[in-house]
Amino acid sequence: MAPPIETGQPGVIIIGETKAKDELSSPWNVIVHNDPINLMSYVTMVFMRVFGYPRVRAETLMLEVHHKGRSLVWSGGREQAEHYVHQLHSYQLLATMEKSET
Amino acid sequence: MIDLKVQPLDEKRILISGIPPVLATVLHEIPEILELRDAPEARARLHPDPTADNDSFNREWRQMAGPELRHLFVSAGETVGRDLTAMEVAGESGDDYQVAFPIEHVPAWMSALNQTRLILGEIHKIDEAEMNRTDFDPQSARHLAALRIHLLGYLLHRFVQLEGGDEPENDI
Repeated sequence: MAPPIETGQPGVIIIGETKAKDELSSPWNVIVHNDPINLMSYVTMVFMRVFGYPRVRAETLMLEVHHKGRSLVWSGGREQAEHYVHQLHSYQLLATMEKSET
Repeated sequence: MIDLKVQPLDEKRILISGIPPVLATVLHEIPEILELRDAPEARARLHPDPTADNDSFNREWRQMAGPELRHLFVSAGETVGRDLTAMEVAGESGDDYQVAFPIEHVPAWMSALNQTRLILGEIHKIDEAEMNRTDFDPQSARHLAALRIHLLGYLLHRFVQLEGGDEPENDI
């Protein structure tokens, strides 16, 4: 945790703001992994529902999962990434999140 | 010839019609198969870790998200189990079955069908090769499990079509 920051206002300090801001602003990737059971049409439907992607994009991502074993389906803030992973798990897709290296 | 259809019966109900006897049998097995959701391999598949290597975050996730997901999955299975009690023989020949249920149960049906497929897949260690197998040994538990997965997938795809999704039809 970052050291407390004096604000100049009596009785008000900010704890750990620098790190918190950094963690929130760093991009996170949501990854969907291949599995032998889920239907291609089902996975496409889930991508359209969860991310609001048009069919063509959803199918492209689904095929990437199928052929490459995994696909980066979304990138952005950590909190939203957690939300998407939770939604993908509720549809029983194998999804993980990881901090972007870029 | 199979003429399986999932379509609106009226504004409030969905009808699955043209259910062949073999699929009707598998549908009746759904509640029993879903009871296996807490087997270690099935649990790991239905409640995957959210990160590949952050153990503390994964533990926290399991504590926070696990119960909610489990409730969602159990509730879907119970809904479908109740709906299935209304499945009946249809048609003059009596060869097919049908079942009607409230339209708001569609998400529960999709969830329960997919859960059942995934649980069968994990329990019987079904891989890509097993899913693509063309020969069939009725004495093999794995082959029978793969057959069940395909049959339920055939019905699940009809639900995807109902919801506006469409082709392709293969497994990923």
